[in-house]
Amino acid sequence: MKPAPFTYHRPASLAEALALLRTHGPAAKPIAGGQSLGPMLNMRLARPGHLIDLNDLIELDRVRVKEDMLEIGALTRHHRLANAPEVQRSLPLLGAAAASIGHYAIRQRGTIGGSLAHADPAAQLPLIAVTLGATLVISGPAGTREVAAADFLQSIMTVDLRDGELITALRFPLPVGDRWAFEAFSRRHGDFALVSVALSFARDAEGKIDALRLGLGGVDTVPLRLPEIEARAQGRLADEDTIRDLAAATAAAIAPEDSEQVPAVYRRELAETLVIRAFQSALTREEGA
Amino acid sequence: MSGDFTEIGRALPRKEDRRLVSGRGRYLDDLAFPGALHVSFVRSPHAHARILDIDSAEAAEMPGVVGIFTGRDLDQMTTRLRLAPPIEGLQPTELTTLPIDKVRFHGDPVVCVVATDRYLAEDAAECVSVEYDQLPAVTSITEAFAPDAALVDDSLTSNMVSHQSLCVGDPAARRAEAHRVVEARFSLHRHTHVPLETRGCVADWDDGRAHLNMHIGNQVPHPLRSQLAARLGLSESQVTVMSPDVGGAFGQKIALYREELTVAALSRHLRRPVRWREDRMENLMSAAHAREYECRTRASVSETGRILGLELEIDEDFGGYCFYPANYMARVIALIMTGPYRIQDYAYEVRVALTNKCGAGPMRAPMAITSWVMEGTIDAIARDLGLDPVEVRRINALGPEDLPYKMPTGELLEDVSPRETLEIAVDVIDVAAFRARQAQARAEGRYLGLGLCTVIESTTYGSEFYKSAGIPGSGHESAWVRIEPSGAVNASVGLMGTGQGYESPLSQAVAEGLGVRSEDVTVHMGNTDIAPYGMGSRGGRGATAGGGTLYLCALKARERVLAIAASMLDLNDAGGLRMRAGQIERMIGDDWQGTGLALVDIARRAYLDPLALPEGIAPGLDFSHSYDPPAMTYSNSTHACEVEVDPQTGAITIDRYLVAEDSGTVLNPIVVRGQQQGAIAMGLSGALLEQVIYDGTGQNLSATLADYLVASPNELPKFEILHHNTPNRRTPAGIKGMAEGGVMGAIGVLANAVSDALAPRGVTIERLPLTPQSIRALLREAAPSSTKRTQP
Repeated sequence: MKPAPFTYHRPASLAEALALLRTHGPAAKPIAGGQSLGPMLNMRLARPGHLIDLNDLIELDRVRVKEDMLEIGALTRHHRLANAPEVQRSLPLLGAAAASIGHYAIRQRGTIGGSLAHADPAAQLPLIAVTLGATLVISGPAGTREVAAADFLQSIMTVDLRDGELITALRFPLPVGDRWAFEAFSRRHGDFALVSVALSFARDAEGKIDALRLGLGGVDTVPLRLPEIEARAQGRLADEDTIRDLAAATAAAIAPEDSEQVPAVYRRELAETLVIRAFQSALTREEGA
Repeated sequence: MSGDFTEIGRALPRKEDRRLVSGRGRYLDDLAFPGALHVSFVRSPHAHARILDIDSAEAAEMPGVVGIFTGRDLDQMTTRLRLAPPIEGLQPTELTTLPIDKVRFHGDPVVCVVATDRYLAEDAAECVSVEYDQLPAVTSITEAFAPDAALVDDSLTSNMVSHQSLCVGDPAARRAEAHRVVEARFSLHRHTHVPLETRGCVADWDDGRAHLNMHIGNQVPHPLRSQLAARLGLSESQVTVMSPDVGGAFGQKIALYREELTVAALSRHLRRPVRWREDRMENLMSAAHAREYECRTRASVSETGRILGLELEIDEDFGGYCFYPANYMARVIALIMTGPYRIQDYAYEVRVALTNKCGAGPMRAPMAITSWVMEGTIDAIARDLGLDPVEVRRINALGPEDLPYKMPTGELLEDVSPRETLEIAVDVIDVAAFRARQAQARAEGRYLGLGLCTVIESTTYGSEFYKSAGIPGSGHESAWVRIEPSGAVNASVGLMGTGQGYESPLSQAVAEGLGVRSEDVTVHMGNTDIAPYGMGSRGGRGATAGGGTLYLCALKARERVLAIAASMLDLNDAGGLRMRAGQIERMIGDDWQGTGLALVDIARRAYLDPLALPEGIAPGLDFSHSYDPPAMTYSNSTHACEVEVDPQTGAITIDRYLVAEDSGTVLNPIVVRGQQQGAIAMGLSGALLEQVIYDGTGQNLSATLADYLVASPNELPKFEILHHNTPNRRTPAGIKGMAEGGVMGAIGVLANAVSDALAPRGVTIERLPLTPQSIRALLREAAPSSTKRTQP
């Protein structure tokens, strides 16, 4: 469990980091919190020739509310995300999901850019990014581009990031509905969820569901947003029958991986249960909480 | 034995904690050896394969590489491990230091790469190319016993490496006359020990003296030294084993492992210090595994639930290699199965299978499954007859009037209190109130359950036990106590602690025997040049064997000290003298009064003015003693817990957990409490989360801590601990030993509680671990709920 040899670089600026990534091309790998890449290096599952340490790029550690978006720098730690007043005010769902990541020490190190780049299908932040329609800001040799999180995440640990490119920020569109919930089921506190559910919606004056956004983690190779369930919910009263119907439809709409350890039928059951619990939690949480 | 102790029983903080919790412990990796070489092992990617060719030419040329060694090389430097105790039904086995012809499990060490640091060693290990011819993998007991099974060990006639049975009384007749015959099944999964500190060692061959210094965290330094010397062809004078602070062992650090022997042999071969630190993946995959059993019971019972006869079958999956006689663990399970109950007609059959998995070894409570099997059988009887499980326990439990009680296997129970701990647990958890809550919850579609589990824990194995088991070896322990010229008290014993907190309780045993304060005693352990030859730490023997021997040795020292004191006080004998806190006191009238003499005065006389000693008393104050405990000592306890099962997710919440325990004389309540909590935590962790997983081809799928899940405090309840301690009348100071029973009780009580919770659905737990997916699978296949479907 010792990494294969690599050359270590510690750029002082984004420009320097991009230049290093450009120079070393596919042999380079950026590292920020190292919570996923560290073990992969030690197990020699990742063998970059050049490791580009981003931890001095403090300009990428930022949380900023703009008119119609919340912009989060790629180097923002989970702990900051979980506690920043800007996040709690404008996107509490994101804050709650970040607070549930791993343990305190992990949240102090792990970054949102790293979590998206690593693309674990059960991780919290990719799920929230997909559910809320976030876009990634990516800098590289060809300049800066934006890509939707749902397009960026292609499969397990496979993303739309080309040689020499670096995620610099995530942009979450604002506003979103004031009803939200994040529910995850894991074997132990702090473990990756077997299944997780994120949702957000508004209710009109009659209590009908408007603009539901529903995402599931752990049920496919990428976090899944379910537009057909969202459409099914539009304009319906958020009562028990509706919730049960949406949960059952969700379970029917997914095709989780089947394994001896975690059978597909179990993940489907969890998805159904967690969707119900997420709606209940969203509906019972006090306004403004 | 009277309980009138001044030092034994004090809540003295753990002496080692000052260094351990302030980051000043010295573990193996804290020891510096300039110029030490590092090794990395190339391990088998296959479960079962012939080794056709090993090509290390490229690796040998890599930077920092000093040498690359195979099984053939090591076979020249070491002798083989032959295990052939004269036990009927046990096939003898022999193994080389590293495999030569074939590998027997995924993770089997095949080649040892020695380099100037571990990074370079791993770089080179990647480049060693081993050509294999894969063989069919035997991955279960059923496969192992199939008539056409591949042989795991080619030298054996079958994979059934051990097979024993016993029949006492007439269980068949009891079956014939029984009101009912109740059958039950229990399947316990493979665990591993997961010490915080993995295995590791530094072998430092002193070529000039032709002496091996072996630094290794180990539970049994002296037996390990004997093994090392024998396997290296050295005399026991040429090997010193030194155990630094150790970060946990749980039974994993008893055997001399092949990697450690390899490192020692290569240090001698290369004439350089060589060190190895096992990484976590190696530890989870290749160190030692434990606990994989299939058990079946058949109880012949009367209408009232009285057990007339019991029949037991145990099959154990022992893995690919025997580092211990293969009957070793399973036999103890069979021996003590009837435990807290009055059963005289009893039969068992124990079969042990070799499979293509990591070799099994003892793990804290090697007999861990016992209490689940017995107590699960009791619950099965209650279910079958429609009786209250508490009543079935009461009608069968051993009470004071039954003691001493000879179990059908000949094991003798005395000074135990299973009926008393049962009553305490039942009373405190308030079974009646729980049943009312449970009925209410069931009406709401919620699943609450209550479990009970009474444990008879075999703690100290005396020589008589080994002799009757046919295992060569001893259960004795040795100690020395030395009072220095300054009056300082040093002592030593053959145990080696691995985190339990030995230093305070063992000091207390010495202090009690001698008559000094525990704070003024230092106990030295782990260095075979200092410690007397003792059998080390295993089972629950530390207190009785280690503490007991030290106590007896200290009594011997006290007798001499008081004899010298008497002469200094011009008394004819020491009859009216005692020592307390290092001060000599004399009974005058009805009072103990100071004499002005202290231990330091006696010491000075003994060392510096020996001519003034009374006739017949030799100079110095140096004492040694050895002690062989009874064939077996037993502790007992009753565990009780309440759970709630979430029928939608299968998650289990433990709402309440208590244990009423009889641990005999307690040397130190802080250490005992730590052991009780730790053992229960370990049992629950194993029953809920931990699982070594092999797939059908023998690939280990649980070699990281993201896959082999260990409970954290978040997953564990608060433990309520109730004491009902009765001293053992046969042992020094009434000590019994403890520390493994919590594991036994936790496994059984949790399984029983979950079965109780799911009873309305007709679900009985027969298989662990209790993962949420396994609970859901049981519920999916079970009868639909009779109550209305509830809100998740």
